[in-house]
Amino acid sequence: MALDLQMPVLVVDDYKTMIRIIRNLLKQLGFEDIDDAADGTEALEKMKQRRYGLVISDWNMEPMTGYELLKQVRADGSLSKTPFIMVTAESKTENVIAAKKAGVNNYIVKPFNAQTLKGKIEAVFSD
Amino acid sequence: MLVVFRPSEDAERMERLDLMAHMKQENVARVIDFLEENKSKDGEVSLTDVMHLAEVMSGSMFDFLSTVQPAVTEELTMIAREITRMKDEISNLRANDMTGHKIPDAGRELDAIVEATEDATNTIMEAAEEIMGADTSDPEAYQELVSNKMIGIFEACTFQDITGQRISKVVETLRFIDERVASFIERLRIPEDLDAVLEESEKEKRARELILHGPQMAGEGVSQDDIDAMMGGGQADIDKLFD
Repeated sequence: MALDLQMPVLVVDDYKTMIRIIRNLLKQLGFEDIDDAADGTEALEKMKQRRYGLVISDWNMEPMTGYELLKQVRADGSLSKTPFIMVTAESKTENVIAAKKAGVNNYIVKPFNAQTLKGKIEAVFSD
Repeated sequence: MLVVFRPSEDAERMERLDLMAHMKQENVARVIDFLEENKSKDGEVSLTDVMHLAEVMSGSMFDFLSTVQPAVTEELTMIAREITRMKDEISNLRANDMTGHKIPDAGRELDAIVEATEDATNTIMEAAEEIMGADTSDPEAYQELVSNKMIGIFEACTFQDITGQRISKVVETLRFIDERVASFIERLRIPEDLDAVLEESEKEKRARELILHGPQMAGEGVSQDDIDAMMGGGQADIDKLFD
């Protein structure tokens, strides 16, 4: 799968400032079509209405966490192939293992920098 | 100190109870003798009779009280002393000060910290966004805009000093509570295993099932490098983390 800067990206985070930070970093990386959602439920609704090329999601949100969103996306035939990067402060080994088992494409631990985000996005699309 | 009856004290109490039973029988016999002696009076009771009966009854009460009183008094004194001491400990805990002032004040400080950091972040991000989106065709105007925005960023960063002071106040409150609760537990000699087993709340259940730990302290979570190794490798890389 090639990296296409025109593809729509969905950023999921319950903290508006973090959405704004990721949105700005993505813009700096050249992405133009960036959408956002405040939790897994809203993200899932948006994903059913529009095909996103990449989902960047936080883990700890209510009512639906990023982990639940990931599992639901992977369980949905029409969404299951969507690249999914977890960006979270949850840095316990069990979280990373659970995310990997659930089918996450990459995992970024907060706080992170632009270079890390760029590297992980490139890694997802170079696989 | 809690009131606890030791085996030797229990034996002493049993002896006293035996004595009480004996005294009771003796006094009952005296009352019966008195009534037997006076039953021929055919219902006529004089003041002397009443006084005599009162004397017999008070004698029996005296015997009873003289047997029971020292033990009861001693125990009641110990209980009273414990109650006084516990009242002192509760007073030292300053629970009303904690719930009425210290904890609400700490909550307000934390709210103010959230608000200040959010305001500062927004100011800094707005400035950065304006610089990013600025027209660079006029170098002088661009330089002026950047200078103004940079000053705005420096000003916004002053929040750190104020939030630092607020955080110190919250830490002070936590230390105050910790010291008093620890002292209360120690003075009341509350054993660790006395903690009640609490049922898992819905929030705790959700956190456990959805693996919600929140941010880790430095050195506690796995690093981005470890995560990269786990993501790129197989089970063997994951296993290495548990060695």
